Amino acid sequence: MSQAATDKPDSPEPKRSNGFRISRRAFLGVSAAAAAVLTVVLALRRPKLAEPVETQTTKAVDTQQLIPTSCLNCPTRCAIRVRKVQTTAGETKVVRIFGNPNSTYSEGKCCSRSHVGLQVLYNPDRFQTPLIRTSGTKGRGVNFETDFEVASWEDAMTAIAGRLPTAPGRLLILEGLNTTSNEDLIRQFALAYGTPNLFVEDGLETDADREGKMLADGRSNSWYELQAEDETSTKYILAFSAGIVESERPLARNLHLWGELRRGTPNRTKVVSFDPRYSVTACRADEWVPINPGTEGALAMAIAHVILSEGLYDSDFINNYADGFNKYRTVAMTQRFSPESVSEIAGVSADAIVRIAREFAQSKPAIAWSGEAATSWPYGTFASHAIYCLNALVGSIDVPGGIVYQQYPPYAVMPTEGLPITETGISFQKMAELLRDRGINTAIGFNSNLIMSVPESKEGGKWDETLKNLFYVHIGPAKSEMAAYADVILPACTYLEDWGYESAIPGSGYAEARIKQPVVEPRDESRPTARILFDLTSVTPLAGPFSPVPSTPEEFPLAFAQYRTSPFIGWVDFQSVGVWKGSSYSYRSYAFGTTSGKFEFHSDHLERLLNVRLPGEDTVYPLELAIYRPVLEIRSGSQNFPWAQEMYLVMHGRGWKNLVEINRETAHEYGIGEGDEVIVESVFGEIEGEARVLEGMRPGVVAIATGQGHFASGRFADGMGANPNDVIGTEYDEESGQPSFFATRVKVRKA
Amino acid sequence: MARWGMVIDLDKCVGCQACSLACKAENNVPHGSPYEQKRHQDMYWHKVIAATEGEYPAVNTQIIPMPCMHCEHPPCVTVCPAKATFKREDGIVMQNFRRCIGCRYCMVACPYGARNFNFKTQESEEYQRPDLPPDLDLGFASHIGPWPYPHRTRGVVEKCTYCFHRIDQALERGWEIGSKIDGEDGVLPACVEACPTEARYFGDLDDPDSAVSRLLASRTYMELREEMGTDPQTRYLPR
Amino acid sequence: MQLSFAPVQGTSRKYKILVAVLFALALTGVIAYIIAYLNGFRLWGINNSVTWGQLITVDFFFIGLSAGSLVVSSLVYVLGQERYKPIGRIAVFMGLLLMIGAMFTVVTDLGRIEKCWRLFMFFYLNNMKCLFAINGIFYAGYILLLFTYLAAALTGSKLTKFIAPVAVLWAVLVHMGTGAIVGFIETRGILYSPMKPVEFISAAFASGLALVMFLSYITLKFSKRPIDKNMFVSLGRMLSILIIILMVLVLVDKLTHFYPPQRESVMFLISGPLAWVFWLQVVLGYFIPLGILFNPWLRKKVGWVIAACLICVVGILFERAAIIIPGLSQPLQYYPGEIAGIWGARGGFPIMIAETLQTIGIVSLVGLLYVIGLKYLELLPASTSEHAQGESAEQAAPAAEGGHT
Repeated sequence: MSQAATDKPDSPEPKRSNGFRISRRAFLGVSAAAAAVLTVVLALRRPKLAEPVETQTTKAVDTQQLIPTSCLNCPTRCAIRVRKVQTTAGETKVVRIFGNPNSTYSEGKCCSRSHVGLQVLYNPDRFQTPLIRTSGTKGRGVNFETDFEVASWEDAMTAIAGRLPTAPGRLLILEGLNTTSNEDLIRQFALAYGTPNLFVEDGLETDADREGKMLADGRSNSWYELQAEDETSTKYILAFSAGIVESERPLARNLHLWGELRRGTPNRTKVVSFDPRYSVTACRADEWVPINPGTEGALAMAIAHVILSEGLYDSDFINNYADGFNKYRTVAMTQRFSPESVSEIAGVSADAIVRIAREFAQSKPAIAWSGEAATSWPYGTFASHAIYCLNALVGSIDVPGGIVYQQYPPYAVMPTEGLPITETGISFQKMAELLRDRGINTAIGFNSNLIMSVPESKEGGKWDETLKNLFYVHIGPAKSEMAAYADVILPACTYLEDWGYESAIPGSGYAEARIKQPVVEPRDESRPTARILFDLTSVTPLAGPFSPVPSTPEEFPLAFAQYRTSPFIGWVDFQSVGVWKGSSYSYRSYAFGTTSGKFEFHSDHLERLLNVRLPGEDTVYPLELAIYRPVLEIRSGSQNFPWAQEMYLVMHGRGWKNLVEINRETAHEYGIGEGDEVIVESVFGEIEGEARVLEGMRPGVVAIATGQGHFASGRFADGMGANPNDVIGTEYDEESGQPSFFATRVKVRKA
Repeated sequence: MARWGMVIDLDKCVGCQACSLACKAENNVPHGSPYEQKRHQDMYWHKVIAATEGEYPAVNTQIIPMPCMHCEHPPCVTVCPAKATFKREDGIVMQNFRRCIGCRYCMVACPYGARNFNFKTQESEEYQRPDLPPDLDLGFASHIGPWPYPHRTRGVVEKCTYCFHRIDQALERGWEIGSKIDGEDGVLPACVEACPTEARYFGDLDDPDSAVSRLLASRTYMELREEMGTDPQTRYLPR
Repeated sequence: MQLSFAPVQGTSRKYKILVAVLFALALTGVIAYIIAYLNGFRLWGINNSVTWGQLITVDFFFIGLSAGSLVVSSLVYVLGQERYKPIGRIAVFMGLLLMIGAMFTVVTDLGRIEKCWRLFMFFYLNNMKCLFAINGIFYAGYILLLFTYLAAALTGSKLTKFIAPVAVLWAVLVHMGTGAIVGFIETRGILYSPMKPVEFISAAFASGLALVMFLSYITLKFSKRPIDKNMFVSLGRMLSILIIILMVLVLVDKLTHFYPPQRESVMFLISGPLAWVFWLQVVLGYFIPLGILFNPWLRKKVGWVIAACLICVVGILFERAAIIIPGLSQPLQYYPGEIAGIWGARGGFPIMIAETLQTIGIVSLVGLLYVIGLKYLELLPASTSEHAQGESAEQAAPAAEGGHT
């Protein structure tokens, strides 16, 4: 009675085994039916073959506008046009940022950072209301949600008014990156209040360089023109640790003219980069000459030595417009500054120095560009001066393609009658001294980023301690490390919501003004800085005049901008064009502001350039730390922008952090491999990071990009990378008081 | 019918990545996160690579922007089973999200890593592009169609489109398209428009007067991974 | 010899536990998939470099095993070799189930599973140059053939004589098509080879035979059915030959790519960071099984032969994995030189929970169907004596239960 199926041929009954019925007929029937249905379905549906989808442009938007304004993600302040749309659903969105072709400053180009403006505006970690601190620790332990309570503008102003010191010298004003119009108002506020303690944070990187140039020509508005117009275009650029296409201002102009000078002129500009690291500029240059950090000034003198010995200098300029030249020449032509001597200090072959010096002198007009890294040393002013003098030697001062003196728009006057003081502004060193001596007890920061940008920024360091002891008012749009130290936070609006004007910074020669007009209304309760200042003046008695125009608080930002620009442009025009251009630059004016009225070659302190000494014993800390700014470091006080973060370092293909960059041989010597977690230690502190082992670095040098290591900026920046300023010590450039950021020896070990 | 191509002058490019950022803004490409970058799950329609050769001090790094190559013989088109990716008559290799089943065969086949898979549903981004199509205006079903914005759908593959939406709009309105050697440029993809050094050019390769044709004729040009035989329409002028 | 086939009783505790465990794992797999689908495949180990992962590996593996199983069945149904009859039906059944499992992996690997129907719109919406589409035709026909083949085999119908060769040849076509999917991609040096289709089917033969041997032996043992040890030993000899052929093919393929100028791919595969996958393939898939099957003492011991089969199956799994994981992980060299950062990094492939649970789930599902099929289909040769059956402690059900023999 086996019911097992056998392998016998078919029997007439359908086969059965337990639980499974195979009826062939049924199976075939079902299959056939299914196939039939499928065929019918397919036949009826007749889906279209893949056709390209060509024109699809119906209106998803009701209106779209291109609004001219200007960027503020770095000090260059390029003119931009911003696209805003209003959808059929009634939504307003800012969607794109483009350059403004009306601006000839960079021929309507803006750099990569400008696109991040969208994320600046829509930063999810912006302040929505004024905040008053009620508890918690300042600095790294901050919790913006629980340490502060939401306050109305009135209450916040009252809280501040009660704390502003009656002795004006006890107030410190910190000025981060603000619009030109806000800068003018901040300065006026300081003058009217009577405090000389206005610290412009931009000076952290520029004071020494400017001082060095001012020693020579008495002007604070000189810069490299990089002209590409005609046969007078710049033929040669000698970059001294200058990130011309990464970080040197005015960046968008540099980028645009780079293209022109390298490919758009009949004589391609040659670029030689002296740099301890293979920066983007060194990579794009014709020649990268690796040098020891801090030896830029010495190299400049060696080049001067060659130019002078071989008589390659521009005698026309020297004979007519130079002062102190003979003494300078004597000093420069001594053995100490010969290529052979300097080659040992700088690590560059003497032959290369001679060759480059000759090329430089014989390719007119040539520019010697001193970068931030070249001048952030204890003798940075003199390094800047030595490099600047090279420009004079080859006749590049005040000529097309050389150095020009920036002109500014003729703004209407600010009130001066009755001001308690007429000058305001202190150096970093002075500020540090005042704080140390407890001369200051209150500070107001306007988009300040100080704690991230100063040396010894680390937790428990003296800046951390000092800021905790101040009553600090932070005025800025978004969460930031300085806001973590605040007692009162006032939400300023971003630059895309602001009224104002911008002056083109040095670079073009001719003046250019750019409008700032709001693309959208300030979000939440944020207000224009100008209005905040105006309101401050009404709760704080000022000793002098503040506003040049009568106005209500709400209208003040617009009224002020209109007033100031009224001498040279009508507001309606300004709003539609976005840009005003001054008259063409007149070269060869040689209007030097020195006592001699000439270009002064100073030579008293040039030997300093030969002594590169850094804090830290070289046996204990054998490596030298060099920091740099990659192009996507957003200078507007925050880095909480995911687009900028995710592609942060283009040369390393990495984002969301910075890296500890070491030469391969050096890394091997210390047992460090690519990707290892390492600790970078100096006498001042230590930080941790990921090692990047590469060929493009001078052995013995460690490079770390700035812009990372945030702890209070928001979800896209906090806890990522490390701030190299934490291990950098404070030495000051003697003349300018600028801190020297490269004067630190370090050691690196695996974590 | 035009044949769109792009020329990138590596001599002028300075690796500022304005192109990558403009692409992100224009096409509402979502940003990633540190975790996603480590996992290589973040999306880039356009990338800039740095290829280094040599030993200190003779180091040479090439900075190369890479959009989609829009090849003449695209391997991705050959291997797509659902005809979701196809080459338009004017040369643009398009991606139809409605058809894409997310099999990722095209990603295996692409020699240039131009394609990205959508690994998650994107959160609503503040800077969404409500101004861009889909004009099907289906709201809830707005992921249907050849464009991923403003709503993206997870599980499909995306890539650079030579900003076809700009080109189509220009075609419809009769505007000029492409870079010009002399005079003002016509409509351009966002990356070309954003380049501050003006290192990028776009135009009709079949038009001998276009900037791209003239540039390709005047200098040696190169293609990436030429040995793959894809005949890319994005070409490079070397330093 | 007339062989009768009978299902297992399926009433013992062990059986029920097995079913329960497999069911639980399969259910976990389903849940893992739903979670992964709704959250996006970021939960898997795949990324923009290694775009295919565990599922496609198992897909290739299963299709190969299915084709191989069918080839084993051809010994019985095509070549009429009586001595292999005991495992003939199991082979066909396994062929079907493995293919169903493979289809599950493919379909759940798609980013948008609801559009999987697009894979079958041949000549309408499909790009027929695409090997997925061509394979779609092969797979669809194959599954229909498998059902028919199984039906024919189980009923002992005369149609088997016609269906079997067709099914077997179709199986070869199926798996060569699968090989072509990867073999024809020039971008990926490790994948690219005209030999891939042949290599795949050769791996399928070896692994299919090994799996059929292993699984049938285990099944027969646990269901206390008669085991013909000589059959297994002779199959072992066959397996060793198949492995040698496979080894030769792989060797030739790698050797071809070893010569300049195109060396990077092979070097990445055999000496790169993921080389261990390749070497596991070689050691587990070829060396150890051959070592056992050529050893004059061991190859006669069924236990060792079966162990060799299991090791070979695992090794061939690594062969499939070596195609996918190191194959796709190798960074694309857009331009000569070292490409910095994420663009030049080799693709990573972490083992992620959701993906692993799903893979295990699908394998468990196949196992579950197998185990259930054993109970409801007449796949296994019947016991030779009723006494042996009656003495079995598993004989709990009364005869009225359904009339098991």
